[in-house]
Amino acid sequence: MVALVLVALLGVGASGAAPYYAGKSVEIIVPTSPGGPSDILVRAMAPYLERHIAGSPSVRVRNMPGGGTILGSNWFALNAKPDGLTLLAAPVGATIAYIIKNPAVRYDFRNFKLVAVSGSGAVFYASPRVGVRRAADLPQARDLVMGSPSPPGNVLTAIVAMELLGVSPKVVFGFEGVGPARLAFERGELTLDFQSTIVYVTQVQPLVAAGRAVPLMTLGYLDERGQVVRDPALRDLPTVYEVYQQIYRRKPDGLLRWKAFRALFAAGWVYGRGLWAPGGTPPEILRELHEAVDRMNRDPEFQRDVAQRLLEGYALHRGDRVEAVVHRNLQITLDVVKFIRDLVRQKYGQEI
Amino acid sequence: MAEAALRALEVFASPDRLALLLAGILAGIVVGLLPGMGGIVAVSLILPYVFRMDAVAAVAVLTGALAVVHTSDTITSVLIGAPGSAASATSVIEGHPLARQGQAARALSAAFLSSMIGGLLGALGLTLSIPVARPLVLSMGAPELFMLTALGVSYAGSLLGKEVRKGLLSGLLGMLFGLVGPSPAAAQVRFDFGSLYLMDGLPLAVVALGIFGVAEVVNLLAEGGSIAQAPGLGRGWLEGVRDVLRHRWLVVRGALIGIWAGILPALGATAGTWMAYGHVVATSRDRENFGKGDIRGIIAPESANNAVAAGDLIPTLLFMVPGSASAAILVGALLRYGILPGPRILTEHLDLVYVVIWSYALANVIGAGICFAASPALARVTQIPFAKLAGPVLVAMMLGAYQASQELGDLVTLLLLGTLGWGMASAGWPRAPFLIGFVLVGPMERYFVITKNLYGWTWLARPGVWIIGAALLAPFVWGLVRWSRGRGSRSASPPSGSAPARSALDVGVSAAVLGGFALAALLAVGLVPGARELPLFVALAGCGLGAVQLVEALRGRTGPAEGQLDPNRLRGGAIILAGLCGFVGVTAALGFLPGVAALTLWVTWKLARMHPGWAVAYTVAVAAGVHALAGLLALHLPGGRLSL
Repeated sequence: MVALVLVALLGVGASGAAPYYAGKSVEIIVPTSPGGPSDILVRAMAPYLERHIAGSPSVRVRNMPGGGTILGSNWFALNAKPDGLTLLAAPVGATIAYIIKNPAVRYDFRNFKLVAVSGSGAVFYASPRVGVRRAADLPQARDLVMGSPSPPGNVLTAIVAMELLGVSPKVVFGFEGVGPARLAFERGELTLDFQSTIVYVTQVQPLVAAGRAVPLMTLGYLDERGQVVRDPALRDLPTVYEVYQQIYRRKPDGLLRWKAFRALFAAGWVYGRGLWAPGGTPPEILRELHEAVDRMNRDPEFQRDVAQRLLEGYALHRGDRVEAVVHRNLQITLDVVKFIRDLVRQKYGQEI
Repeated sequence: MAEAALRALEVFASPDRLALLLAGILAGIVVGLLPGMGGIVAVSLILPYVFRMDAVAAVAVLTGALAVVHTSDTITSVLIGAPGSAASATSVIEGHPLARQGQAARALSAAFLSSMIGGLLGALGLTLSIPVARPLVLSMGAPELFMLTALGVSYAGSLLGKEVRKGLLSGLLGMLFGLVGPSPAAAQVRFDFGSLYLMDGLPLAVVALGIFGVAEVVNLLAEGGSIAQAPGLGRGWLEGVRDVLRHRWLVVRGALIGIWAGILPALGATAGTWMAYGHVVATSRDRENFGKGDIRGIIAPESANNAVAAGDLIPTLLFMVPGSASAAILVGALLRYGILPGPRILTEHLDLVYVVIWSYALANVIGAGICFAASPALARVTQIPFAKLAGPVLVAMMLGAYQASQELGDLVTLLLLGTLGWGMASAGWPRAPFLIGFVLVGPMERYFVITKNLYGWTWLARPGVWIIGAALLAPFVWGLVRWSRGRGSRSASPPSGSAPARSALDVGVSAAVLGGFALAALLAVGLVPGARELPLFVALAGCGLGAVQLVEALRGRTGPAEGQLDPNRLRGGAIILAGLCGFVGVTAALGFLPGVAALTLWVTWKLARMHPGWAVAYTVAVAAGVHALAGLLALHLPGGRLSL
């Protein structure tokens, strides 16, 4: 009844008889609870997918939380038919679990086709109390304390970045998310923090202006050729790659710890928000989806409401254009996996 | 500020926006009614439409839906005994017995009125606290948050019931179930038995529904007859209003507890409701009637659970740290409109903040009004022979549980915890401590670990810790004073009149509980340091107490009096639980609708003894209803291996 009322009030418009997708319904699997970052993004994109996929199918989001994002992703790998009607929005947790080769993972991104992908960046900042004015001073900092949920997860990127720079902050695990950790930073309980760009811009920049936080560096971003460039959303801040060079006067390329950082940063951030279709999906159906991505990118309303506000200005790539790059970045060698595991075990006493 | 508030009110002068608010309210009411479904289902339901509206309308419709879920969920809790959402399980304890005494109308009107006032006080609290909210939230560090969770746990102390040992065991058992899943401070999953389903822990909605709902429904069915044992609805509508007026300060206290629980991201709606309930019991002089239908036990928690959502808006809007999944969705919607929660929202979008507050207040009033209007009709449900209702009620519970993670595991968990809850209820084990332990063990462990790692021992010197510590100890000191003053005057409480004899059921439950703790202790030893301390402590404490309990049960010194346990009712209950196992089996094999059909047919034909023709027609109607409901609310139905 409620839905009827809503439908009547809003007049859901579906029109036009078009090829494959006309009259069909697309279901996007989000393997987290409603309200997570990837869930919000997918839900905001859904109306634009409806508008721009030829035939205007209805697009529904289905949350399948459980197993720390693994359950829903496994379900997709085992059950989704290659008909373009079931897609997977893989969140960062699912990607990290995949690259560090968690034994519970039953999905393999190499068997999926990429519909679209977008990324995000992240920023490190510190409390003025630690006596740091720029990132290159980090090795001299006093009392660096970070907070985080228990690993694995995005904290791995931060831990490996600090290891790369030769910095050993104390990391306090146990926070229920990055939001409560940020509150603890504001309260002065933590002195080093790491947040995604959108959170940094909205929540932390006011603290910077008030002199209560010192911005340090971004993770950086990757250009089409896989080169590290400055974060397009925060061009004034140096990247981890640059800061390494400022401290050590050489490039980190080739070092195992750089490879580990780059792997986590590419898979978890630069290509962290992928929308996938099952492997055997026919090319003509994939083309419909890829063309819809192009049309979305040309839609000024999408640009304003989603691209600027939720994607923070990071590009939404057409899946087929970057698929090879993404697949390459999702495969990391066993020595790198071992390095990450050993680091987390030896320095932080955690078995991942 | 007042000007911005008035400008925001003008928004609702437009009939379109009012209609949208109403649509949100209706969605919230319907979802609240369905057992086990809370705000998150309501918000997910309307979200696809929300993104087609303008920002003001979107905010109004989302807030409207969120505001009333905890008004209407009471109806299911009171009438059927199955919690409409996890946060209204307290109304199962106090409201359902009233419905059984034929006082459903009184319980409901008291609940709606307290919900409404609690919601309005929440909105007022939200308005007043906006200027001071930031420093207030930032003043609560990890040590204070830990102490607050400990305070919540101490409230459970007043809900232990007559047999303290059973109450403690129940709380420990709840903690044990709450510890399933990822350890907060170590990269290890506890008690998952290698199952992916258990990796994220047990969903609260399923646990609340299992421990409270299944037992009530099974007992109602096994007893036969209708829900109300007394004839007539009772002319209780006015009486309920008078109850609220008489206990008006309870409403205020409940609302204050609720707002606090909402503001602190560590606690949440369910914990806030239980804290309000524990608080009422702890501060009442005469506690004999609690658990049997005490109106005070409805008023404070109902006020609290509507106020929580208002409190929750403070961290959501001012810090972008949503305290619940539904608040997280609200944040997502705001971001999509370019409205950034955080420190700047008060300067850049103050009017929108007031739209939220007004929507919240209006929704609480309208929602309570709708529930009031609908209740006389709904209360008649208590007059119908329950067996005729049981089919759809059981199906709705299964459907609600399945929305938690859409895994067959949800149904299995519901059934297992339902059996446990039924056994506990039948053998005289209090279930309230179980849910409190389940809800609070996570934040308590989390903030203890963080406190220990950040502060060492210096946290004990913080003034906030001392203040909360004093609040924690006060009831105990007060109790001690009262006890020493009036020693002997209050009847020696051990149940003297009816000497309990050995009850096989109590022995069985005690043995099962002890076995569970022993298994947990064995498993906990194998966990890594950082993950194992609390589980080991809980399991060992449970083993010790459980062993004593088992011995006492074998000696026949504990347990319900012989007369209270009707063997026919127990047998009936066991048969119904077996029937539910059959339902899950059929669902796993063939899919949900065949399961629904089999269950409804069995219940109507065999238990309600309907004419076979009518039973078939009824079954078809229920299956069609489930199918239609799933379509309307965009719910997913479990599919079977041989999916039909």
